[in-house]
Amino acid sequence: MKKAFIYLMGTVILAGSSSCNKYLELQPQDGIIKEEFWKTKEQVQASVIGIYSSMMEYSSGGYNSQGYIPSMAELFFVWGESRADNVATATASSFDDIALTTMNVQPTNVNANWRPFYRTINFCNTLLEKAPEVLTNDNTFTQRQLDIYMSEALTVRALMYFYLVRTFGDVPLKLDATLSDENITPIEKSTQAQVLDQIIADLKKAESLAVTSHGNAEQDKGRITRYTVNSLLADVYLWTDKYTECVAECDKVINSGRFGLIRGATVNGPSIEYNDSWFNTLYADGNSNEGIFELQYSQQRLNPFFTIFSPTIPARRWVAAADLMERVFSVDMTNPQNYDIRGDRASVSAATSTVWKYVGASPSVLRTIDQSFAHWIFYRYADILLMKAEALNESGNGQGALNLVYQVRQRANALVSTDPTPSPSDKFAVQDFILDERAREFCFEGKRWFDVLRNAKRNKYARLPILLNMIAQSVPSNMQQSAQAKAKDVNSHYMPIYLYELQTNKKLVQNSFYK
Amino acid sequence: MSRKIIVSVLAFAMVAGLVTMNACRKIELVETTTADVNIVGWLDKQPDSFSLFRQILERTGTAPFLNAYGAYTCFAPVNSGVKTYLTKIGAASVDAADLNTLKDMVRLHLLEDTVYTNSFTDGKLPVITMFGQFLVTSVANVGGASSYQINRQALVRNSNIRTGNGIIHVIDQVMTPAVKTIAQQLEANANYSVFVQAMKETGYFDKLNVVDPNLANRWITVLAESNKALADNGFANYASLKAKYSKTGNPRLATDSLNMYVAYHITSGLKFLGDIITQTTHETMLPQEVISIRLVEQDILINEDEFNGVIEKGVRINRPGSDNAATNGVWHEAAGHYMVKFRKPTALFWDVSAFEEIKKLPAFYKKANYNFTRATEADKPIKDHYWGWGSLAGTNVLSYTYSTSSSITNFACNNDINMLPLGLPSRPVWWEMKTPPVIKGKYKVWICYRAQKQSSSSNQLCQVEVNGQLMQRTMNFTENRPAGTDAELEAIGWKRYIENTTNVFAARQVGVIEFKTTQQQTIRITPLVGTQNNNNLDMIHFIPIDENQILPRFRPDGSMIYF
Repeated sequence: MKKAFIYLMGTVILAGSSSCNKYLELQPQDGIIKEEFWKTKEQVQASVIGIYSSMMEYSSGGYNSQGYIPSMAELFFVWGESRADNVATATASSFDDIALTTMNVQPTNVNANWRPFYRTINFCNTLLEKAPEVLTNDNTFTQRQLDIYMSEALTVRALMYFYLVRTFGDVPLKLDATLSDENITPIEKSTQAQVLDQIIADLKKAESLAVTSHGNAEQDKGRITRYTVNSLLADVYLWTDKYTECVAECDKVINSGRFGLIRGATVNGPSIEYNDSWFNTLYADGNSNEGIFELQYSQQRLNPFFTIFSPTIPARRWVAAADLMERVFSVDMTNPQNYDIRGDRASVSAATSTVWKYVGASPSVLRTIDQSFAHWIFYRYADILLMKAEALNESGNGQGALNLVYQVRQRANALVSTDPTPSPSDKFAVQDFILDERAREFCFEGKRWFDVLRNAKRNKYARLPILLNMIAQSVPSNMQQSAQAKAKDVNSHYMPIYLYELQTNKKLVQNSFYK
Repeated sequence: MSRKIIVSVLAFAMVAGLVTMNACRKIELVETTTADVNIVGWLDKQPDSFSLFRQILERTGTAPFLNAYGAYTCFAPVNSGVKTYLTKIGAASVDAADLNTLKDMVRLHLLEDTVYTNSFTDGKLPVITMFGQFLVTSVANVGGASSYQINRQALVRNSNIRTGNGIIHVIDQVMTPAVKTIAQQLEANANYSVFVQAMKETGYFDKLNVVDPNLANRWITVLAESNKALADNGFANYASLKAKYSKTGNPRLATDSLNMYVAYHITSGLKFLGDIITQTTHETMLPQEVISIRLVEQDILINEDEFNGVIEKGVRINRPGSDNAATNGVWHEAAGHYMVKFRKPTALFWDVSAFEEIKKLPAFYKKANYNFTRATEADKPIKDHYWGWGSLAGTNVLSYTYSTSSSITNFACNNDINMLPLGLPSRPVWWEMKTPPVIKGKYKVWICYRAQKQSSSSNQLCQVEVNGQLMQRTMNFTENRPAGTDAELEAIGWKRYIENTTNVFAARQVGVIEFKTTQQQTIRITPLVGTQNNNNLDMIHFIPIDENQILPRFRPDGSMIYF
């Protein structure tokens, strides 16, 4: 009996202690923690793909409410277009959206929330920090494979910072991973120049590591290749007024022979032959021969643009500016068969002022909501040509610049009325021409504001009037003078730091214009 | 044993009592609903910046209500600004200053509503100050930094500070109210001596020199012509201006052209430039005469209008010399000379399907059909054509219909018509259009349409209103033109407006309207009986009543014929 009691007690203690162990287990039962992650090459690959998909994250919170956090693709559009002259607010636009068009942005404006960008930056930082450890854990993971992944993370991080620096000016430069709450430390802003130096250093490193092809078209357009790095570098050099370097980067892409312009229109004597599938090849389907880097939206991952642009829903937020067709593309009143292929039914549906690029399934048919997966194009070949043109013009080669502009114009059958035929030696006239051509070529592609700002700020804001004139055009008439006077303060060209960030990171200092 | 228990229980109870009593004392009940300070409280927290303004609030008795419940906007000047102000009014300290002057000053800095910087425009604030003058906002760029400027006197240093009972904008200077009337300000300015003399001789000087105690009638806006503007237009002095216009010899008469000249430069209401450009026309003191306003690039132009395809050059408003606030209004500087134009009533033969939005589509305008669809009630695809939302969403489509062969448009002017479904219960409930400018005068109104029945039983009886005034006759989109000679038809309110004699193209005279002002007029067609889709509107004619109502007629190519 006593023996039995001892056995029983022994069993109970054993059972109790083992259950105790489980009870005291601190590791989560339903997830993977970082000590268990970063073991195999598959996990590294998953993290890289995670970086790309983080750029396609959805918005959260209700639009027009204070807690709204826009999606990144939405911000690409809003930051690049809303303050410029190609778009206008629609009936359902929020106060925050309207404030952008009237130069009335406040630190509470939800469009100043940079959270999606720093989240993706943290994914990149984590990969850059942890992926090298996997080399020791997984013998089948090669150094070459690691280099490729590192180049992707470096480039995406540079792209994020490039957007931030152009939008906010000085921003915090965070280069190490935030893995847990212990890593959260307030950090100060770095200057625009410091951030840009970091971007260039990262990209140069990425260029030496990146592949020229991932093996298939979809991955080549949707993931970072060496040509993506070159394109981004060219853009950064153009922003930092380094023209020789910009031309060199453009030439790397041009000379690769892997990209070209999708044929739009060909003039055959008196008649013009249009490529009917131009819109679908380049925009509706995406991943064309012209594309360099595109966000790969698909049926499984829809883009946010349907609710923003589609004329079929009552709550669309942005429409094309009312005078877009006449002012930007112009119209041949005498011959309707002579039109700029980039205008009506490509960039815009003129009759309904719809931003067509992202909601058109074809030149004539609207997408339905379940088909809303037009890609967001970061860079394409036409951009390389026009960036090179801009750099050539700045370095004194006006004729070389014009040749490239005409190459882009020709493929689209740009109308004669939009050709001011500037003299190659007239640098400002060629600048204006390139800027206008970019407005046509990249209409609604999130580039217009940055293009105008880049040209305006060159040589210590020598051409600020370009920006002031644009504001005179796009701001409501009863605020025009105020908006112009605001824009004379160069700090107003950058967005305020979002109030939430200021409250949580006490080291941040608000842009002086917004005090 | 039991004694021990009792002791320990007692001891425990005492300790527990002590603990709970302590805890009782420690509880601090929050009796306020918020920790936010009110406007005065916020100023109190920063005595370095606002001690003087705070003193003024105390002395003027404003502090108590600014510390109570409400919704105010306070423009709070910092100490340095108050010091400058005190020096300006010759007071050594706040206590030494005249109380009434201080009261007026404080009331100019307070609004009885919350106004954030996002409602600042180039014009006045939406809410009047407690002093009874509006503040005007702008943005000034000083040394590369831009900031809001209030009343052209003070720069905003810090804005949109929320407090419990309103918001504060910190300003660097004290603002002072205007003390002179428009008339006095102009008189004091030597550059306007000719215009002022014209004002005096026509009697308007006295009218512009009073401050009406009734806010509704107080405000006046004057567009003054400077001596230079007049000299550039050949009026070197007042005598030459009078010689040109004053034909009756008595400029005080309303019928004298000099009197009209001055009256035409005055409009009622307080209109800063930011307010002027939000409206296309403004009525002047000259009865039924308006000035039109257009913004071209950055220039505000008066009377730059297009009549019958000819653009008449307008006069620019000089921005730097404008937005001068006075006690009874505001005045601006017109950079040129302008005078009311007397135009004879002229017929308008309006092809309703030649609107801007379709002309922008060269592939469709005079080429093919095009549907302008309103997906939602808020949409407005065509600026000058609008309709009351039809509950059946699919009927909210205005079809631009063009064809040279279809029997609907083959004889129509320019071969095109506008078609819009109409009628209760589910189709659009009215159809409203803005005409091109029609010169004031008396006109007969003709609705020219291509009659069509959607089905054999369709009916579409409509009434027509012009500028809200109901026309004497109804019209019916399903009714053909009756037979008869031109004279017989005109007698019963019909005519043939196209070259071809088919009776499906009909023009119905719906009535006579007198336009009081020359401007874009509004015409609205409201269905009374029946409902159908095929309401084909081709043209609307406004023909002066004393002119030939039958001719000209229109060819499919748009040209006119006079037989």
